[in-house]
Amino acid sequence: MSTYLQLSGLTKRYGATRALENIDLAVGRGTVLALLGPNGAGKSTLFGCLLGLIAPTGGEIQRNGMTIPDAARACFGYVAERVSMYPHRTVAENAEYFVRLKGLSTDALKHQLERVGLWNVRDRKVRQLSKGMLQRLGLAIALCGQPELLVLDEPFNGLDPALLDTLQTILREENQRGATLLISTHTMSAVEPLATHVAILLQGRLAAFGMLSELRADHPDADSLETIYHRIARQQRAAEEVLV
Amino acid sequence: MISDSTIPFIRDCSQEGSPIARAGRNCKTRQVALVAVKEFGDRLRSGWVVACVLVWLGAIGLTSFFGLLQMGQLGMQGYERTVLSLLNLVQYLVPLLGLLLGYDLVVSEREEQTLRMVVASGVSRTRLLLGKFLGGGLTLSVPLVLGFGIAGTVICLASKDSGFEPFLKLAVSGLGMGILFLGVGLMISTFSRTRVQALVLALLTWCLAVFVFDLVALGILVSTQSVKSANEIEFVCDATHVNSSADLHSAYDAVSDNAAPTVATNPSPSLSWLALNPVDLFRAMNLPGETGIRVPMLTWMLAATLWLAIPLGISVWKLNRTDL
Repeated sequence: MSTYLQLSGLTKRYGATRALENIDLAVGRGTVLALLGPNGAGKSTLFGCLLGLIAPTGGEIQRNGMTIPDAARACFGYVAERVSMYPHRTVAENAEYFVRLKGLSTDALKHQLERVGLWNVRDRKVRQLSKGMLQRLGLAIALCGQPELLVLDEPFNGLDPALLDTLQTILREENQRGATLLISTHTMSAVEPLATHVAILLQGRLAAFGMLSELRADHPDADSLETIYHRIARQQRAAEEVLV
Repeated sequence: MISDSTIPFIRDCSQEGSPIARAGRNCKTRQVALVAVKEFGDRLRSGWVVACVLVWLGAIGLTSFFGLLQMGQLGMQGYERTVLSLLNLVQYLVPLLGLLLGYDLVVSEREEQTLRMVVASGVSRTRLLLGKFLGGGLTLSVPLVLGFGIAGTVICLASKDSGFEPFLKLAVSGLGMGILFLGVGLMISTFSRTRVQALVLALLTWCLAVFVFDLVALGILVSTQSVKSANEIEFVCDATHVNSSADLHSAYDAVSDNAAPTVATNPSPSLSWLALNPVDLFRAMNLPGETGIRVPMLTWMLAATLWLAIPLGISVWKLNRTDL
């Protein structure tokens, strides 16, 4: 599988705080990468660097072997942990605005709003939406234009089982279409059926990265991704304590 | 509106040397236009634009009608008199409008985190700022143009005055001053962390430009240069309106009665101070020709260009270095 995204020595520091430290990561096209780690591990910072929201202190990110210009990010779909829209505008107006900013036709909007179950509330003001609906609106916008990369920051937070199932189905369909998915989450049971690769970030460092099948093979007695994650996190902490 | 067609397509703006690259260039222009139109649309919906039109119409109409009340005259004045009466109003209100429009252009979206969505959609920060500035400029221009246009027409009809050049100059330079302060407001917005902080900074900037600068400039001139220079700058700035020599109507009448002008007809080099403050520049531009205060066009153009380019340049520099 050819490398689609390449992160080389990616570092982000805020003063003395190291949010990301020398991250090297190669993601192939069509990969579903689950980015795991505790709060403050640097997952959102990594996504921020990828999306051009945060300037890295060092290192670089390449897409298909080239640095990513601002305009190329129109080919990405992004669903933030906290989806923010213009509250005084309607669902349709918000969606149309962001889709047009990407230089895309709004033709696909109806399909995507229907897909996430928001077509019937398209004329409702965004301030009247629940958090779950807002999340779905963010997803509908991200899905427009068949993005080659979907970046989802904690997409499973606060979803009821039915919505969770819908979201998993949509993400599976997008991956089958050929999209690469980067998903950061604490809900490991939700991402496990989708993920092909797993990266574990701990205190800004990449503690583990590989195919999910390889991780499972390395931990044959672990019954779930969550167990593997906790084991790796424990090993990492123990190694750091030895160093200290 | 969203159509029923469900055929999606992607337009990669990044590839060069292909029809897609042309689409990319259109895409960049369209992004600026989209941000600008959204900005104007939001202000239009909020009633800001309509309220401003009404305020301007009322202010210009009332100033024209009651402008000479303190001299015992009442009624619609001609253009030149109206300009003299309007100078103070415009120099106070327009910078305030520009700053109030500009101060939350960026910081509000940053607080609401919608700026992350916009930038993640492939809009560069420079294009975002340009769109915001153009949208703000449109929001400022519509009320001013409508206000001056309608009031100017009424004055023409009521006073039968056809010499509208001073009024036109006041409107154009007033709009220019507003746009300069919009740029300053945008710069404040990119540097501020919260809306409240930006508002406080905008109001402090307004006080500095409208009141403090003139007093400080006057103080420095009085202590370092001639009394003549101080008189000139006081006449131009009229910061406190406590000095009768700065009464424009008296000066205008004195000149009309063939008396000696209030200030010298050959301004001293101290007038270069004016370039440091767009408000003073505006006022000096609109003083009646008889007062002898003249700002060379080159000075005006250079100062206006710098006052526009520097805040916008700093805004772009700052936003490009801001993590969202």
